[in-house]
Amino acid sequence: MFYILHELMGEEMAQTVKVQTQRMGKRESLIHSKSGFALLIAALIMITLISVGIAVSIGQVRIPLAESYRILLYKLTGFQWGTTPIEAGSFTDIIWQIRFPRVLMAMFIGAGLALCGAVMQAAVQNPLADPYILGISSGASLGATFAILIGFGAIGWLGQTGVAFWAFAGAMGASLLVLTLAGIRGKMTSVKLVLAGMVINALCSAFSNFIIYFANNAEGIKTVTFWTMGSLASSGWNKLPLVGIVVLVAILFFLLQSRVLNTMLLGDEAAVTLGINLSVYRRVYMLLTALVTGVMVASCGMIGFVGLIIPHIVRGLVGSDHRKVMPVSVLFGAIFLIWTDVIARSLISSVELPIGIITAMIGAPMFMYMLVKKGYGFGGN
Amino acid sequence: MKLNVENVSISVLNTDIIKDISLQVDGKQFVGLIGPNGCGKSTLLKSIYKVIKPQQGKVFLDHTDILKSSPKVVSRHMGVVGQFNELSFDFTVREMVMMGRTPHKKMLETDNERDHEIVEQALEKVHLTGHADRNYVSLSGGEKQRVVLARVLAQQPQFLILDEPTNHLDIKYQLQILNIVRGLGIGILAALHDLELAAEYCDYLYVVKKGQIVVHGKPADILTREMIGEVFDVDCEIYKNPVTGGLGIAYLSTR
Repeated sequence: MFYILHELMGEEMAQTVKVQTQRMGKRESLIHSKSGFALLIAALIMITLISVGIAVSIGQVRIPLAESYRILLYKLTGFQWGTTPIEAGSFTDIIWQIRFPRVLMAMFIGAGLALCGAVMQAAVQNPLADPYILGISSGASLGATFAILIGFGAIGWLGQTGVAFWAFAGAMGASLLVLTLAGIRGKMTSVKLVLAGMVINALCSAFSNFIIYFANNAEGIKTVTFWTMGSLASSGWNKLPLVGIVVLVAILFFLLQSRVLNTMLLGDEAAVTLGINLSVYRRVYMLLTALVTGVMVASCGMIGFVGLIIPHIVRGLVGSDHRKVMPVSVLFGAIFLIWTDVIARSLISSVELPIGIITAMIGAPMFMYMLVKKGYGFGGN
Repeated sequence: MKLNVENVSISVLNTDIIKDISLQVDGKQFVGLIGPNGCGKSTLLKSIYKVIKPQQGKVFLDHTDILKSSPKVVSRHMGVVGQFNELSFDFTVREMVMMGRTPHKKMLETDNERDHEIVEQALEKVHLTGHADRNYVSLSGGEKQRVVLARVLAQQPQFLILDEPTNHLDIKYQLQILNIVRGLGIGILAALHDLELAAEYCDYLYVVKKGQIVVHGKPADILTREMIGEVFDVDCEIYKNPVTGGLGIAYLSTR
């Protein structure tokens, strides 16, 4: 760790950090000191910004890194750096119309999924929870399957946004059903929520499979499959504002909720004795995460694993305190999805892979590494 | 602070668990609640710390109507050491204890020097300073219980509720925990299962059976052969412990 620091910022500063961390006590980790944590956040923000720049230059058409930054800078600020004029050429179009909105979308979705995952795990006090746990995944799938194979997809104004609309409706319907089911007869406990989620999942999957089984539509079935594995291919400027605003608002809101999220992990009873009535907060958090996840699912399908794994990796790194977990998860998720999307669109030339495949292929080994190397025990030991 | 429980009745799923119980704990009294398993001690305590809503009755902490106040208001005055302290996520011991400051914090307020001081003092009091950076889930049951006590100390309560706080602890830590809480000099209501310890530490005892208070009074007055036989179904002899001078109970057989 200190070696890397030396590299990054020179002898003198590394020495101060080292002294500071030693003063902090036994756990000799940078991340646990205040300045170390600020440094980590700053570094992650830098990495995110750099990643965006690199990601837009990679693709079927290779665009020099300097050129892509130049175009981004020009488009964002109007400032023309260097002497060659930036024309409305093909590079500019590719970067500004296609890649940049897509990379931004990856950034927002990654941040949003990691955020919702962390919140969901706290809300149901279950390390295996992810953003899709409230039946959102299967509800959205059912909606999408319906739209693709039967639906009103081609009719009227729904024609444009048919699949997205039905996926969102399915996600919302399923999660409301789960919340109601878990709240019937007395208290909404975390176990009840997880069980209700499973039941609704099973039900929705059954209906989806029913539709798929009787649909005589190979092309449609392929679309459904592709959809359930998630893709950012259709991201454009038109979709970006909704997702961006929803995710940003959610991030702002949940960053301010760290104290409550912490007490959530202690369980309902302990939380009440610390002055926090969880049943109210849990309801609000779940509705919000369901809404955010629904919007994300509607715009790019199901991207598995990110919401489950990023919070765990982050906890392995900074501990369970949500004041650290939340901001780091958001940034980590953003970086992770930017790069998995780069891989998804450039791993095999002229083939667009579903991003869900890549997130699992990269995420699972990362997780395994943590289990083996760091002895991370999902919180339990 | 003074606790006043008036005519509390609780039923869960149409079964009466607590029937019309009233009790008082004065400002600096250590009051024990004893009774066989399943008699409703925990349920009664839970209604006082707002986890269960009683069907009838009132609970006052000085002039605060606990049942009508928000958890936040109550938690600024009342600390609780409960029975169940398992976690499925990991915190360091220090982070756990710091959570005791939650009731005193506004949503966006950060922990200041004073909070850190309070946390360190609480850790010192339960002799866990050396464990401050360890992970909570890696601790033994007794250590976990002491961390929870430290968290409650960091809460700086003026009244304390303990639900069998010495469960699963070896004798050293049982004594340690009881000594610490008695040393606080605040009102305490504790469910205890060890009658000898209850006799030694409590100023006053309430005996609960089948959701009702059977008898109450000073330990020496009410801990009799007849009472224990009737309430706990155990034959015993009460004697004066020749070493400590305290009250001793020799259990003979179950009835």
